[in-house]
Amino acid sequence: MVERTLKRRNLKPKAYMLRPMAVTLRETINHTRHSPNTVLYPWEKLVIQDGFRGRPGLVIDKCIECGICVRICPTRCIELVEIEWKDQGKIRRPQVNMGRCMVCGYCAEYCPKNAMIIAPDYELAGYSRQDLIYDPIRLQYEDRPGCHIDVIEVKPKDAHNLSIKGYDAKTGNELKDVPEVEDKMCIGCSKCEKVCPTDAVQMVQTGVNEKGRPIKRPKFDEDKCVSCEQCLDNCPKDAIKMKEAK
Amino acid sequence: MNGLFIFLQGISVWLMSIVGWVFDFITLHGFADWFRSPGVVFFLTNFLAALVVFIVGFLISITFIWEERKILGRLMDRRGTQVGVLGLFQNFADGLKAFIKEIIIPDEVDKWIYDAAPVILIGISCLLIGLIPLSPDFALANLNGGLLLIFAIFSIAPFAILIGGWASNNKYTIMGGMRAAAQLISYEVPLLLSLVGVVILAGSFNLMDIVQAQQQAGVWFIIPQFLGCLVFMVAAIAEVERIPFDLPEAEAELVEGWQTEYGGMRFGLIMLSEYVRGYAASMVAVILFLGGWDGPSFIWPEIWFIIKVFILFAVWIWVRGALMRVTTKQILGIGWKRLMPLALINLGIAIAIKMAGWL
Amino acid sequence: MSEMWLNMGPQHPMTHGLWNLRVKIDGETITEAEPVVGYLHRGWEKLTETRTFPQIIPMADRLCYGASLSWSHCYCLTAEKLLDVEVPERAKYIRTIVLEAQRIGSHLMWLAALGTDLGSYTVFLYPMRERELFLDLMQDLCGARLTYNYPRIGGVRNDVPANFERDFTRVLNHFEKKIPDYEALCDESTVFHMRMDDVGKLTAEQAINLGVTGPNLRGSGVDYDIRRDDPYDAYSQIDFNVCVQKSCDAYARYRVRMDELYESVNIIRQAIKDMPKGPVRVKPPRNAVKGKSDWAHTEDPRGEAFMYIIGNGDDHPYRLKVRSPIFVTVSAAAWMLKGYKVADVPAIMGSVDMCLGETDR
Repeated sequence: MVERTLKRRNLKPKAYMLRPMAVTLRETINHTRHSPNTVLYPWEKLVIQDGFRGRPGLVIDKCIECGICVRICPTRCIELVEIEWKDQGKIRRPQVNMGRCMVCGYCAEYCPKNAMIIAPDYELAGYSRQDLIYDPIRLQYEDRPGCHIDVIEVKPKDAHNLSIKGYDAKTGNELKDVPEVEDKMCIGCSKCEKVCPTDAVQMVQTGVNEKGRPIKRPKFDEDKCVSCEQCLDNCPKDAIKMKEAK
Repeated sequence: MNGLFIFLQGISVWLMSIVGWVFDFITLHGFADWFRSPGVVFFLTNFLAALVVFIVGFLISITFIWEERKILGRLMDRRGTQVGVLGLFQNFADGLKAFIKEIIIPDEVDKWIYDAAPVILIGISCLLIGLIPLSPDFALANLNGGLLLIFAIFSIAPFAILIGGWASNNKYTIMGGMRAAAQLISYEVPLLLSLVGVVILAGSFNLMDIVQAQQQAGVWFIIPQFLGCLVFMVAAIAEVERIPFDLPEAEAELVEGWQTEYGGMRFGLIMLSEYVRGYAASMVAVILFLGGWDGPSFIWPEIWFIIKVFILFAVWIWVRGALMRVTTKQILGIGWKRLMPLALINLGIAIAIKMAGWL
Repeated sequence: MSEMWLNMGPQHPMTHGLWNLRVKIDGETITEAEPVVGYLHRGWEKLTETRTFPQIIPMADRLCYGASLSWSHCYCLTAEKLLDVEVPERAKYIRTIVLEAQRIGSHLMWLAALGTDLGSYTVFLYPMRERELFLDLMQDLCGARLTYNYPRIGGVRNDVPANFERDFTRVLNHFEKKIPDYEALCDESTVFHMRMDDVGKLTAEQAINLGVTGPNLRGSGVDYDIRRDDPYDAYSQIDFNVCVQKSCDAYARYRVRMDELYESVNIIRQAIKDMPKGPVRVKPPRNAVKGKSDWAHTEDPRGEAFMYIIGNGDDHPYRLKVRSPIFVTVSAAAWMLKGYKVADVPAIMGSVDMCLGETDR
């Protein structure tokens, strides 16, 4: 039974207009005695909690160029561009168009190495559209507690198991979708081996065809795969499908 | 000749003596004598008095805007204006902004009347500043029919609003103008009826005599004339078009009502004239009901008077913060059906008190 | 006097959004009304055809930015039915708490908009001040204040932070003392009653025929609430009352929403007490079955939100249809306005609680 914590009063208008005036007088005195509820921005600023979603940030050294952030962004504002970086020469890193970014946090949530993180930076105004495109050097941000997003999931069969806490989806193999190839459609072109960012695809010889040439088929390493789906996109015969984790 | 004129006469004699000395130096003795003559000194005294009274009244009514924004801010749990020391420069900043805005006049307005409406409005508002004395020593004019003249000038406003709304050639402004005219004209009657009680008790229309009557009787007229004070307050709030009676310039329905097509400094003048009329109405209310400049003698009577006006205006701001807008039909209903009988009852009370000889 | 058509909008200080209300007036009385919507159309339903199932969740937040969580939650329910996903118990309770907090926030914003329409800026700022507290709670939970991106297909994004129960209880205790303040400024003021009593009448039969749902329907006396009649999430295990008012005018619709504020506080308290432990997120399947379609409906703060989805065999939907409650109520506005004065228009439209984002999609 719902217990009422507040006794309802009679809500008819009283004394023509004196009740609203009494309430406002009490509030005026309160707001003069203690300061009002306003914050004099930009001279005073509010304190930001951990986990506040500001603009995306990048840790350049952790990125593996897998392209998951490019694929998952709902507004298509991330692109991989080439930069010169220290002693590694030319590498490709993400560039974010903040004019289009909707600050949803998906790039940080789906990044397998926590290279894309959330920076609690919200003062993002610029003077032109060109100013709002953050190239990888400008996008950098230091990874601190509260800046990266952890995904803790369970398998569908464990949904009502109250004692299990869940697996970290970015490490471990329990929840991963791995690719699998359809033998009949594969032509052994090795394109999937070339585009894989983590070297999880190895072309192995499975036999010899009628002309004596070796038949190569890809073999997927479950431990290294990050489910980036690059092999899926680049297969010329659409022979690769994702096998879902059970 | 009250204290203000005597002080300013001294200043103008001194000024004209300097001008005369300059002309003597250039050996133009005719001009020098003319400058020092009593006629020119008299003219200069009156001119300076008008200037001083106008500037003081203007500055105080601008301070009213500051008071409104600050008190309304604290009521709504926010700070009021912040520009300058305690926010006092905000109105000058707003005036400067209104000056430098681009003036956009729609094509099809009636040019002469469109220009004339704000001019009439600000003219009559500023005329009111000169007619109300701040104390026996600080008055520009002390007319025997002063109260009547003040309210006659007050009532030209619905005319200016109506023609302003009509000339703008816009459906919204026509409706706003007609609503404003209906509201202002129908609230003139309770306003004037509530005055008559005070005039009966005091015996004259002269503002200084009314205050003197309160000082002699020893009691401010709010006590025997409580109903009259209430009716005057409500009618004055309706006359000045403040919330809860501000339907003619209601934002939610009619953009700005009859002021929609006025931009830049014209709008600035219209807004200023509303505050000046509010200032004049509060001053008259303080003189009639709250004793004017009556008070202990350790502060100047002018300062005492202004303090009372500020406190009264603070009550009007409090009413504005607490209540909502009332619709036209209900405004007219309140004016005719509730306020007028109260004013008549109040008149009866005043006559009874005078005949019984208590005051 | 001749009748004239008056355009209220699309550029208008009436705060509800970007739409045009054309009224035909005879002096000051309204004889006909014609709403014109579509200024905010963004092609939402077409955009979803090229996005994967998880990518649509933040887009559904932008459907109605005033109550964004109820729309992404409705989409998650639909997608869970399509993909056959079971949600853990703890996630159901968290969703209930957050939905009711969203309902309180949405009703407070409605009250603020009603205050500006009626001319009282105090009634604008007091509810907004309390809404800030609820937005701060949501910011603690998921990092954003207005568009949360919090429900996921298969649960919610993350578990509650450490001080969740303490913060929520504090805010609710403070908020319950403030609701009588709003009632003192509105209900107990004669001016408010003069403006809202006996205006904008919509009889129960008219409301049902026009398809109006939610608090607008309950203000006309019809006892229908999806949370009780077709429960989803944890509503079947929580005890609450449905608020109905009998007089069909604007004041009744106002009163229904104020009562719902009290009820939401009670629902949140019960849910916090009864919340079980366990996981909060289930991994959903990637692809949908080709040709399978499913639907789900929820009780949005404005009415009944309904979504219908058809699968395509891979990870995009083939078609996603949204039925928004205010799109229907806008056409009922024409019936509510007939015979009243122009000065009553803000009071009537304010009591309907328009949000243009979901009307135009």
